[in-house]
Amino acid sequence: MAVGDRPTKRAGEDAAATAAGAATETKAAASQLAPITTGELTAPIVVPNTLWQAVNPLAYDGGRPAEITHLREFGLTDAGRHDDGRWGGLQVIPTQADNILDLIRANSLWPLLSGLACCAFEMMSAATSKNDMDRWGMFPFRASPRQSDVLIVAGTLTTKMAGPLVRLWEEMPEPKWCVALGDCTVSGGRYKRSYSTVQGIDRVMPVDVYIPGCPPRPEGLIYGMMQLGQLVKDQRGHWPEREIGPTVPDKI
Amino acid sequence: MPTRPVRTNSRPKQRPPEQHRSEDDPRIMLDREVSADLYEPIPPYPTRTEREAEFYTIGDGEMFLNLGPQHPATHGVLRLVLKLSGEQIVDVDPVLGYLHRGVEKICENSDYYHVIDQVDPLEYASALFQEWAAVLAFEKLMDVEVPPRAEYIRVLSAELLRISSHTLFMGFLALDMGGLTPILYSFIERDEIVEMLAALTGARMLFNYFRIGGVNGDLNHEFMSRLGDWMSRAAKQTEANTGLLNENEIFVRRARGVGVMDREMALRFGVTGGNLRASGVPFDVRRAHPYSVYPQLDFNVPTRLEGDSLARYLIRMDEVRESIKIIDQCLNNMPDGPVMAKLPRLLRPHPGRAWGAVEGPRGMLGVYAISDGTDQPFRFRIHDPSFMNLEVVPHLLPGNLLADTMAIVSSLDPIMGGIDK
Ligand code: SF4
Repeated sequence: MAVGDRPTKRAGEDAAATAAGAATETKAAASQLAPITTGELTAPIVVPNTLWQAVNPLAYDGGRPAEITHLREFGLTDAGRHDDGRWGGLQVIPTQADNILDLIRANSLWPLLSGLACCAFEMMSAATSKNDMDRWGMFPFRASPRQSDVLIVAGTLTTKMAGPLVRLWEEMPEPKWCVALGDCTVSGGRYKRSYSTVQGIDRVMPVDVYIPGCPPRPEGLIYGMMQLGQLVKDQRGHWPEREIGPTVPDKI
Repeated sequence: MPTRPVRTNSRPKQRPPEQHRSEDDPRIMLDREVSADLYEPIPPYPTRTEREAEFYTIGDGEMFLNLGPQHPATHGVLRLVLKLSGEQIVDVDPVLGYLHRGVEKICENSDYYHVIDQVDPLEYASALFQEWAAVLAFEKLMDVEVPPRAEYIRVLSAELLRISSHTLFMGFLALDMGGLTPILYSFIERDEIVEMLAALTGARMLFNYFRIGGVNGDLNHEFMSRLGDWMSRAAKQTEANTGLLNENEIFVRRARGVGVMDREMALRFGVTGGNLRASGVPFDVRRAHPYSVYPQLDFNVPTRLEGDSLARYLIRMDEVRESIKIIDQCLNNMPDGPVMAKLPRLLRPHPGRAWGAVEGPRGMLGVYAISDGTDQPFRFRIHDPSFMNLEVVPHLLPGNLLADTMAIVSSLDPIMGGIDK
């Protein structure tokens, strides 16, 4: 079976048929993913988008197989292949102290300053004078992923930007949370028909809060961040039970 | 052959076996066999042009610095690969495409009404101008007469947005040079203007307000009262805001004389808008190729000769003052009447082609539309000023210090949505 492929066989097929199917699929996938040579650079690269799978495969997209996208390079990395526990990969164990520390974290969520497109303007609007997010401890944005707790993905995520963005996410220290701001990041939004966007960032990273809207109002972002704070409080001290996502990729 | 710094996506040959979910029970993980071919490294990206080969050949004492695509001061997802010699920039390779969303293709598969919505997220700081260019091209294509009241409402709302965009520009320019205060003030103005426009159009950023043959909805009470409030203090507030930077010695000394773009260079690269006028060319689409009711309005085209970052900033502040004048005149001259022309539900223009261009906050925003007689444009080409403006960056940066990069790039006011489309 192709690397990272979601199991697409329906129940009821016998084991032999599955094995044979898997063998042919491996071949097909291998030829598809063969290293590109110099002359082939202009040819379109199409591979299955299998970057990250939900805990429950039926939860997203009705359990249908992931669509075809162009994320070839990224698909070859660890993040594209592995499905380790979000915390298990990092060997982080919450202690009793985290029952208290999570309360503190919930009230001081520092976002990463990372704007991708239009929604970033509303994110900045939420952080500046009129809708001052700082009032709820969502401190004005940090420029370094090492210093931030929340990744607010504000704007359209294209396949070209997916690699750098996942890398940012992986550079953030645990515990960390992800907020999908805007229709583009929630589901693809108005670019559902586009050939170059990622149809929802939950295909490449786990998401804790979805804020729909094109763009959402700054109040929407603040509300979403408050919901995130509540989520952190509710789940305090229970990290391993959280949703799982990609491990740290070796090289993107 | 010189090679780029190698980005290996390879992984070690010995790996733990892959896992996949059991089909019967998604909670169970099963190991799977993986073909060894899949672990072959992707070969280093070969250089494709002479220019690329030259750029990625590193000289004595030189180094590469990657600025972006994630950088707090790149206005989105612009990536600049800088070749440095010490602190000095030797060469620049801008890498675009991190926000390519395929809008032109989507537009070609949408009907004419739908296109107006789809072009909004391109020039996202001032979406009405992008709509206007599309609408202008379509109106030429279909020979539609726009009622005068609709034209005035268009000018009014668009000039408001120009003020918002230029005020934001001021804030971002200062932010990129390390000053946090101006952006707090510019967002006060911007939030007030977009709330006002939200009362008029229903949206804060992506308005979808202009229609082929008019606008969607007449002026309403909330918009007018907010506008009245704001206009009463707009001129004074603008002076106060510009005072933050104009009288700031650090800002002026950092911005003066860096990134000088001379007249020839600006014309050669097709730079338009404030960046061109800061280099001494008084070209403004509103005057050079008049559209809408601009010929009946009285405003100046501010021009400066220096062509440096400071001039580009000052030009935009002058334009804010002119826009306030225009809004004043619109409010005084606003005629009565309908705001939409009578049009069929389904538009099928005759085969033909049309070019519509407006003066956006960043320069000439054009749309070239070809109709083949169906209800969808056959070709929909967007000419974005930010792209042309960004083209001069590799010629402005070399010789400057690394710290000046943002003072220069930011003063060109690029918007990545329009550049990458
Ligand atoms: S959701 Fe809308 S506003 Fe946000 S990035 Fe996408 S197109 Fe832009």
